[in-house]
Amino acid sequence: MARLAIALVWLLAAAAASAHGGSHARSAASVPVAAEPADEGAPSLAYELPVAGSYELPPILRVEDHALLGSDGERARILALAPGQLAIVSFLYLGCRDPGGCPLALATLVRLDRALAQRGDLASRVRLVSVSFDPRHDRPEDLARLRAGLAPRADWRFFTAEGEADLAPVLADFGQDLDVIPGEGGGTPALGHVLKVFLVDADGNVRNVYSTGFLDHRLVLLDVETLVMEE
Amino acid sequence: MRHRSLDCVVGLAAAFALVGPALADETCQSPYLPRLTGQEDFVYVWTLGIEGLGDGSDKLVTVGANPARRDYGKVVSSVSVGGRHEAHHAGFTDDRRQLWAGGLDDSRIFVFDVHSDPAHPKLVRTIEDFAQRSGGVVGPHTFYALPGRMLITGLSNAKDWGGRTALVEVNNEGEFIRTLWMPEGAEYGYDARVKPERNRLLTSSFTGHANYMRKLGELMGDALAMKKFGNTMVVWDFHARKPLQTLAVPGAPLEIRWALRPEHDYAFTSTALTSKLWGIFGKGDGSYEAVEIGDVGDPSKTPLPVDISLSADDRFLFVDSFMDGTVRIYDVSEPRKARLVHERVIGPQLNMVSQSWDGKRLYFTSSLLANWDGTGHEDAQFLKAFGWDGKALSAAFEIDFRKQALGRPHIMNLASAGS
Repeated sequence: MARLAIALVWLLAAAAASAHGGSHARSAASVPVAAEPADEGAPSLAYELPVAGSYELPPILRVEDHALLGSDGERARILALAPGQLAIVSFLYLGCRDPGGCPLALATLVRLDRALAQRGDLASRVRLVSVSFDPRHDRPEDLARLRAGLAPRADWRFFTAEGEADLAPVLADFGQDLDVIPGEGGGTPALGHVLKVFLVDADGNVRNVYSTGFLDHRLVLLDVETLVMEE
Repeated sequence: MRHRSLDCVVGLAAAFALVGPALADETCQSPYLPRLTGQEDFVYVWTLGIEGLGDGSDKLVTVGANPARRDYGKVVSSVSVGGRHEAHHAGFTDDRRQLWAGGLDDSRIFVFDVHSDPAHPKLVRTIEDFAQRSGGVVGPHTFYALPGRMLITGLSNAKDWGGRTALVEVNNEGEFIRTLWMPEGAEYGYDARVKPERNRLLTSSFTGHANYMRKLGELMGDALAMKKFGNTMVVWDFHARKPLQTLAVPGAPLEIRWALRPEHDYAFTSTALTSKLWGIFGKGDGSYEAVEIGDVGDPSKTPLPVDISLSADDRFLFVDSFMDGTVRIYDVSEPRKARLVHERVIGPQLNMVSQSWDGKRLYFTSSLLANWDGTGHEDAQFLKAFGWDGKALSAAFEIDFRKQALGRPHIMNLASAGS
């Protein structure tokens, strides 16, 4: 019951992020508008964004394309990128009890999904990938329900693992920390982790990592444009 | 106890949106770290070795800092790295699992695992080729966590050992990412700090290896060498890593502290050679101005301010000065007018200051540089802990680093037993 309530909070957060995006997916061909609906509800930026292509994003580290369980129950490579494609990889979990944590991160990803869907020039180049930290509780059917609730408009895939041992090499490869924090009075343990969202190119190079203050869909989109212009 | 933003440390982005001002860790740390908001259990002290004292090596010393623990006020552990490298600054990685500590002389970087057993850090990696891999950057100073990587400031270069230097990015595995040389006209480096809400990086400037490794008395008598100190700060577009502005801040501006409240678009620094406090104020259009906001003691006596620490509410600025061993506490509620509210002599050659997030506990160490310590005063070596009630400091405990055969204590980082 508690997990259902948590999932509801997640979906409400996501809905808030996409409320202004309309109830129907826009055509991928409908190109950028001056005031992006995906920006609505997002915190305003107190600075001017740099110009796409005016800066460099050198590779930070290289990651493997690990196979995990998709929300359809099938095992598959989490990136599976064609040449020229990019992935935005995030790690989340459904049991997160911090309303200002995972739901808020998810809201940013929803904005990114909506913004990408409005960009015909980028939508086919980018894949969102969300991996659960909690393979014991987040099963493929749970992620399928979450995905259905989010109704992604771009390419957004969800994965979980067979178990902790299946997930560990993925976390290690991305340099993503995870601490199991014992629940008080023998209650359900919580999962502590620093927020990191990774921008990965088709060669498996991590080109940026987003965290505090920089997990903003406009910045991610800007970096995507910058990498697309590299080609 | 460590608070990693409740159970889901998606943390600081969340804190940013919901909690508001509390972005950074114990006030001076990178805002990209999980925050330690409660009672710290340990203070990690990166310590220079002294020839003939103990094993004579640089070492990471762990000191108990929680009054509720039996190791309060005692040395819990000590890890020698072998040899003397001019141990100076150190900083956590973005997940707070590692502490990177640098040597200003031979540019070695020592990486400690502080996660597996926070009471007993373990040396897990030594980066010995920083100068080569970075393209000739010498003297790794500030270790500033960014997501997935460290931003490291240099102080010098391997070509002429002067002040021309760079910013270097290295991933958490120790692999080099890039080197960004300081811009023309502002070639010197020292500290680097980010204000995420404004997408601004600010850097300051000191002097090169040829100067900081000389005996202080000898250096001060060399008029030509004394001209080779930084007089600039640089404002960068952080996301693009592009220098935008060079600000004139004469007299070696050292440590930088951005105001912690998101709406406060300003930073502070102090100048070592001119003994001034400066504010770097946003003008509202993304550009900044440098404004002198007060003296530190009597500048004609060169108190030599070295480290500063800003309280989490942006109210109090603690300023340590080396030559008179004094901490001066300024009310900077009006940031353009620093008002001295308290001062106290802590001890000879006072250097670094760290404070807890709640601002109630302050830690001070002696030692600036091996060849600068003991110039004109006793070469005492200590860590001293104090309480702060908003009006006055009260002594808590102290450790004599000479008596315990440890060395010269420099930078301090606070930690939890639950790290």
